[in-house]
Amino acid sequence: MRVPFSYLDRQFADVGRYLEDIEGLVRSGDFTLGKPLLEFERRFADLCGMPYAVGVGSGTDAIVLSLRINGVGPGDEVITTPTTFVATVGAIAMTGATPVFVDSTDGYVIDPAKIEAAITARTRAIVPVHYTGNVADMPAIMEVARRHHLLVVEDACQAIGGMIDGRPVGTWGETACFSLHPLKNLNVWGDGGVIVTRSTALAEQLRLYRNHGLVNRDEVALFGYNSRFDTLQAAVGLRLLDQTEFITERRIANARRFDEAFKDLAPLVRIPTRRQGVKHVYHLYVVQAARRDELLTYLNRHGVEAKVHYPIPMHLQPASRSLGYQEGDFPVSEEYSRTAITLPAHQHLTDAEIAYTVEQVRTFYLERPRE
Amino acid sequence: MITPTLKIPYVNLAAQHAPIRAELLEAVAGVIDRGDFILGAAVHDFESRVGELVDARFAVGVNSGTDALVLALRALGLGAGDEVITVPNSFVASTSCIMLVGARPIFVDVRDDYNMDPDQLERVLTPRTKAILPVHLTGRPADMAPIMDFARRHRLSVIEDCAQAALAEYRGRPVGSMGTVGCFSLHPLKTLNACGDGGVLTTNDESVAEHLKILRNIGLQNRNDCVIWSGNSRLDTLQAAILLVKLKYVGAWTEKRRANAAFYDDALGGIEGVQTPVNRPNVKAVYHTYVIQADRRDELKRYLADHGVETGIHYPIPVHLQTVGQQLGYVAGAFPTAERQAQRILSLPVYPELERSELEYVAGTVRRFYGVDGAPR
Repeated sequence: MRVPFSYLDRQFADVGRYLEDIEGLVRSGDFTLGKPLLEFERRFADLCGMPYAVGVGSGTDAIVLSLRINGVGPGDEVITTPTTFVATVGAIAMTGATPVFVDSTDGYVIDPAKIEAAITARTRAIVPVHYTGNVADMPAIMEVARRHHLLVVEDACQAIGGMIDGRPVGTWGETACFSLHPLKNLNVWGDGGVIVTRSTALAEQLRLYRNHGLVNRDEVALFGYNSRFDTLQAAVGLRLLDQTEFITERRIANARRFDEAFKDLAPLVRIPTRRQGVKHVYHLYVVQAARRDELLTYLNRHGVEAKVHYPIPMHLQPASRSLGYQEGDFPVSEEYSRTAITLPAHQHLTDAEIAYTVEQVRTFYLERPRE
Repeated sequence: MITPTLKIPYVNLAAQHAPIRAELLEAVAGVIDRGDFILGAAVHDFESRVGELVDARFAVGVNSGTDALVLALRALGLGAGDEVITVPNSFVASTSCIMLVGARPIFVDVRDDYNMDPDQLERVLTPRTKAILPVHLTGRPADMAPIMDFARRHRLSVIEDCAQAALAEYRGRPVGSMGTVGCFSLHPLKTLNACGDGGVLTTNDESVAEHLKILRNIGLQNRNDCVIWSGNSRLDTLQAAILLVKLKYVGAWTEKRRANAAFYDDALGGIEGVQTPVNRPNVKAVYHTYVIQADRRDELKRYLADHGVETGIHYPIPVHLQTVGQQLGYVAGAFPTAERQAQRILSLPVYPELERSELEYVAGTVRRFYGVDGAPR
């Protein structure tokens, strides 16, 4: 059996209606900041329970623009965690600020208890990442931020629909950043991102900032970027917005089945703490596994497209050389990178595929001697 | 109240797309079937086709023309403390890109072809000058020979802003093949246009091309190794597939634009108060915009609008006179040619799908405004 990691062929098997929308756009030529984008933004904001959503070029751009519009730049420090995709750190660096790392918890999100020690006179912002679709401990993070007057920009790229006690991700930070990349829970057919905010002023500024600073066709209010969410992609996104809840629920159900099936494999398979009240949306279903690389090879060889997100923590990336970190600085993140494995848990998996995946993992540990 | 006999919009994408709609949708469907939405096969095909078209060894697709400029500056190592020479009469992105990397834009005035005056370069050269960013505005190549010569003498990089000039040539060389890097926009209103934002860079320098590929993809050298912190600026595979369809037609479209421009040159040349574009030998312009200079410009624009002809002004406020430009420290009068042109320029519809009768109508309306053909105002 083959259990694919990517599900795009299954998700878009019925491509006709999307193409009809695209054909309509090709007829109208409304490609740049067009009507479907405005509708997408309105509905995305509703989905997040926020007044404003601004579509931009990518989740990465969402973070860059959020930081820069709040004045973060050279000389500033921005705190995040080494357990994330490189784009979080790339975005911080793009503003000219220096990324500062704080270790993560065993839930793969920033450890609020360790933030304070990393704050200096130059610290301007915290970028917590709702990594894998788990939700960072926002109440605790906001408390630290308030005490030190720091900006909070949520990296919610992997966590659309995530919640703490019924409160959605994206509602804590000054802004929150979402990705619509083809492999995200809410996905389109190329790169795209969204920033949500409560602030009318910020939303207006962001709309300028993503569009060359143009107040109107001829007048420029600020030197801005070109980072617009393509209208064509918004048309695709509009068709998928309604499915977000279904997708999320399916992923959660799949994750529960895995959690249940692997419970007795501890400590060979370590399931992260599932915090009470947290709605984890499982963009990635990650566990920490003994003999991880062997397990990965074994699963891949048996048709299960397991992956590793990601084998190198950010502070040990070649790009971090100038930041002065070394191995051992962030033991939880480093242990994560050595042991984390991602199993396919997407909404298009069949019961048989899930059962097969479970069986392969169990067989690896229970029936195969150490190689 | 006048009832126009014809309505001629300034742009008409629907007309461009109508005859190729089936082909475009098939290209889109092909990407869906392959599911390679991120840096997929169409991006690679498009890049190699652009390389051939521009006669550059390498092409790198990115998210927009603006990003192309920003990434070019970053790939060449430009940043805080550096000065980049450009012109004040371009779209704001030609200046924003310099600001966004933390460098300082230094303006020089333009000539009667709306492009950088190479004779002004010497005057603004300082020890901090690192690059020149000439803009091939309106689709007409800047005077690259003296610019390249100056750059070589002073060891400066040259970033060609080709956003409006795909397929334009200077002394037989395609734009984008002369400077260190060429930056193209693929925005829907450009002559080579996607159905959304897109851009592409061209270069003959392999190390620059490799650097650009890493910079556009979050600094990733492969799936796991990040060698430099960077952002995300990828040309969508979907747009690349659309562009591959359009590449088949862009040559013919360009010739049609040029023919339309030649028609206007004939029909409007010699009208007192109107200056048609300046054609220099060995320069092949592609007329992203067909720009005339006109006495009583605003009146003419209104008159044309009243008669159903939509026009544009590219651009009415030079960057140094924008509110945002004040921080650059220039005063009104600093660039007299660019400033005078901004008061007088008007862009007429020139897209390939214009009918002969429409061109005649536009030209006839301009002629009537100036009292030519015996219809005084």
